[in-house]
Amino acid sequence: MGLLSHLVAIASETQERTEVLLGSLISPDETSKRLKIVDATLRCVAERGIRATTVEEIASEAGMARATLYRTFPGGREAVLEAVAETETARFFASLSVELASAEDLESLVVAFLYGVATRLRSSVILRALSRERPELLHARLTFGGLEETLALGSDFAWPFFAQWMDEDPAKRASEFASRVAISYLLNEEPGSRLDVDADVRRLVAAHVLDGIEALAR
Amino acid sequence: MAGRPETREALIASAYACIARQGIAKTSIGDVASEAGVVRATVYRHFPGGRDELIAEVVSWEHRRFFLELYVAVRDAENLAEVLERALFEAHRAIADHEVLQLVLATEPTELSTLLLGGLAPVQQQIAVFLEPYVEREQHAAHVDVAESSSFLSRLVLSYMGAPGRWDLTDRNEVSRLVRTELLAGITEQAAARGAPAGRH
Repeated sequence: MGLLSHLVAIASETQERTEVLLGSLISPDETSKRLKIVDATLRCVAERGIRATTVEEIASEAGMARATLYRTFPGGREAVLEAVAETETARFFASLSVELASAEDLESLVVAFLYGVATRLRSSVILRALSRERPELLHARLTFGGLEETLALGSDFAWPFFAQWMDEDPAKRASEFASRVAISYLLNEEPGSRLDVDADVRRLVAAHVLDGIEALAR
Repeated sequence: MAGRPETREALIASAYACIARQGIAKTSIGDVASEAGVVRATVYRHFPGGRDELIAEVVSWEHRRFFLELYVAVRDAENLAEVLERALFEAHRAIADHEVLQLVLATEPTELSTLLLGGLAPVQQQIAVFLEPYVEREQHAAHVDVAESSSFLSRLVLSYMGAPGRWDLTDRNEVSRLVRTELLAGITEQAAARGAPAGRH
């Protein structure tokens, strides 16, 4: 949770600021080299998964020598994968923030949140690889204590956006409720109520979620 | 005696006793056989899939028992709000008091998560089917779709059972507020009438 909450804090800043923070204490040159390696790793993972991706393949995909990669990531493969996870998490929250900040009313905020979370999670290279290779790690994040942490993560991230439309306490409850709806509908998808289908999300929000949030705010 | 249901039940009960004592990971077919007083071959005859099949059966057996008790707790409720309040309150209490579940959650949450999520869809559907007549009976707003609302409620009820978040489900007033806001505000006239902004529906 420590790392993720740190990333949530980062994510409320702009994308530019995120990249500066990710590369803090190292030169712009090193920062771009890190991102180049991270993106090369993502291409490798998309193609052959996490387990089968080697440092050699990452280096060759990034167009650099193995030794150059180790200069940037002395920790090797583990360090690269950690940087990939950090970068992807920061990108997730940073790009979602931009969309949430531009919502014009509460209803569009809730729609943007559910649709934005669903489409990003579904298209995430890392999550797709994890759900194929280590599904139990994801399952643990979605039940009991792990679910509490995931809800808290969503709520900590989203409540300031809800607070534009209501007080702090209802905003925290509303963002937790929206996170709960997102997880509940992503866990067991049914045609007609898919969060990655814009019309479905709008219908669900209008039928249930918005009324629930407005009731919390009263 | 192959296939006799009482032996199968007895083996599941023995496996449950082993898990209660030593957790999931350390429970072997040998442990279950000696707990039940049978040879290992008997266990394999009932559970050809071996340990994985037996463990999955124990989880779904306990799962059924849990939801059956919950059903007993809510079946004579007067209306939808009461069904939901009782279900949330009782389920939360049952989970908190469930020593074996708490032991497994504390020591090996990952293995259990996969088993529980594997059975999520049918459980959610059963809850939705159970709720449908209650939703039907409500003086609901014109836009309410009964099947879709029941699906929404079943998903959310399971979610609060798994993780109450900011809600204190040991407090009946909080449970009641939760039901009136997040669960029913979009469904029943009564909940919606508590000051819904005019002209939205």
